[in-house]
Amino acid sequence: MTNALSILFCLTLMYLAVTTRLSSYVLILVFQGILVAAVYTVSFFEHFSVTRLVIAGAVLLFRTILIPGYMVKIIRDLDMGHRDRTHRYHPGFLLQISGVIIVALLLSYQFSRLTPVLVIPLGTALAGIFSGGLLIVRRRLLLAHVVGFLIIENGLFLLGVGLKAETPWVIELGAFLDLFVLIFLMGIAMNHLRSHFPEGAGEELTTLRD
Amino acid sequence: MMYTILLLLALPLLAIAFTARSRSLEKSYLATLTTGTAHLAATVYLLLTQRNPFAPNMWFGIDPLGSFFLLILSHTFLAVVLYSPGFLQRMQKPEYKPSRRLYYPALNSYLLANTLVIVTQHFSLLWVVLELTTFSLAPLIYFYRSKESLEAVWKYLFLVSLGLVFLLIGILAFGLAAKGAGEHASLLLADLVRDAAQLDPLWVKVGFVFALVGISAKIGLAPMHPADIDATSNAPGPVAALMAGSLRSTAMLVLLRFYEVASNTSVREFSQRLLMIVGAFTLLVAAVYIWRSRDYKRLLAYSSVEHLGIITLSTGVGGAAMLGALLHTLFNSFGKIALFFMAGRINRDLQTREIKSVEGLMQRLPWTGFAFGLAFFYVVGTPPSGFFFSELLMLQGMVHARNWLVLVVFLVLLMIIFIGMSRAVLRMLQSPQRSGAPTSETRERFHVAHAVSFYALAVSVPIAIFRPDFLFGPLRSILVEFGFSL
Repeated sequence: MTNALSILFCLTLMYLAVTTRLSSYVLILVFQGILVAAVYTVSFFEHFSVTRLVIAGAVLLFRTILIPGYMVKIIRDLDMGHRDRTHRYHPGFLLQISGVIIVALLLSYQFSRLTPVLVIPLGTALAGIFSGGLLIVRRRLLLAHVVGFLIIENGLFLLGVGLKAETPWVIELGAFLDLFVLIFLMGIAMNHLRSHFPEGAGEELTTLRD
Repeated sequence: MMYTILLLLALPLLAIAFTARSRSLEKSYLATLTTGTAHLAATVYLLLTQRNPFAPNMWFGIDPLGSFFLLILSHTFLAVVLYSPGFLQRMQKPEYKPSRRLYYPALNSYLLANTLVIVTQHFSLLWVVLELTTFSLAPLIYFYRSKESLEAVWKYLFLVSLGLVFLLIGILAFGLAAKGAGEHASLLLADLVRDAAQLDPLWVKVGFVFALVGISAKIGLAPMHPADIDATSNAPGPVAALMAGSLRSTAMLVLLRFYEVASNTSVREFSQRLLMIVGAFTLLVAAVYIWRSRDYKRLLAYSSVEHLGIITLSTGVGGAAMLGALLHTLFNSFGKIALFFMAGRINRDLQTREIKSVEGLMQRLPWTGFAFGLAFFYVVGTPPSGFFFSELLMLQGMVHARNWLVLVVFLVLLMIIFIGMSRAVLRMLQSPQRSGAPTSETRERFHVAHAVSFYALAVSVPIAIFRPDFLFGPLRSILVEFGFSL
């Protein structure tokens, strides 16, 4: 089950490579949030406890409702909905993401020979981290960069599952709150950015240089 | 002991609540000043008694390393608070109104977040509270609400948070390493140090590399330094002093926590070598950019990068050099208070950040020019400044460890940086003033910023010469914890 959910997560990464619409990015985040919560619940099903249920609930709340909801608000406030092409579709990006997924799974397999890990979830986690980074590099809009960052965060959460790392629940909740505050602050900054940088694109941020 | 915890954590929390609600800047100032003073008093008490006010095996605790870094934090914070009313008084433009309102709550949040980082002993929790330090700084960096400060705050938020992703991977790797210790394995610092012999060296190595890369963005180590440079150079003077003087030190403490674990395992030599390489590379980058800087606030930001590079390099050398590195961290906070306070005053009075546009500083702003000149001689390590003594200790450590290559690289790069900084700062101080150059005050008055700066520059001298036991005792204990002796 964990493997099937992880493969679905990889498919969302492939979709990320072929879409350029901001609304699709938000949908990907919602779907990934559900998958991440499901992977977490399934992997710890044998050692089920109330605290784990709380964490899974928090994953759903933060990653599928609060953060995507806030991103939709930013898109509406900044009137980005009708000009949501962050970049022209480029088939090369799909090839890159596919390559990243294959390399990540191979790396995970190599890790499994050193230490006991869940191969597919770990590979998926690494693929999520690399793909998020790739999205930040390849896309122009700052909002797409935030999406890339959130995909890296999803990958990190899966990494914890893949490595069977158990973190106290209070710390997990603290991390979710951190993430939400960070996205909230980035949203405020983006609102202000539009007055100085009309396109909200990364290449406009060149005022500060040596 | 309970009171100490209250003073360190509860009082800043109360101050945040009070200053966020209060509409009076004077009342907010008094609350923040009380908090800062009480925080410093609690820190000095902890340094003198060397007691841990938290119960053993808690996620929080204070060790000698923690109490030393608390001193750096409290001292810098109090200096910044003392300067704040004068700074805010002159920030009267209507667009600064929201920033003035947020100033004291953000300052108190900064104190709380940094204190939490210093007292946290659990690596996962450390990651959570480290993010809080970034949040608390965002409104302070964006104080001027200009295009530049906005770009700086965006880059800072984004790049530092990306850096923290790497740090988390490092923590996860430490978690894997700890599995070798069996059932009682945990991510508590004390447990990891105790079980160091059973930790898997491969994962400790992976964890240390990721932690170093991740925290570099916050410390300002090359090549992850750009966001930190932009933020420090575009923040107001007191905020820049806070960042250069204490935030980078707190981030350095996080790196030292990872190093403490690594140095007790077979990965010790690897981590030492890595710290030396990163430190030397940072010094090289600082040397290049100090020569290229046309903006004096960026020049000072690169000077901060330089000093953190020196500290990282000397930490890697170990022994006396590490003692020098720890002292250098303390003295760096003193020097940065003076430099950034004065840079803020120059910017405000002369309305320029270009080095070539600042002429005849000694004539136009005599007090500021004098303090800026003194601070410059301080940071380049002129005797009897604290930096002179800490750098001597570093050299002693390098000679003792027979690290001749490191010694030569260190001296050559320091020389290049010295000439580069002198070229810019002496020009600002001494070049003749063009007729009709604007200045806001015909005769500059002595200001609290000057008093704080002179104090900060002077206080390092007796510390370096007399080596008070309340400070050097903990420093020796720290060296022992890292497996070094003098």
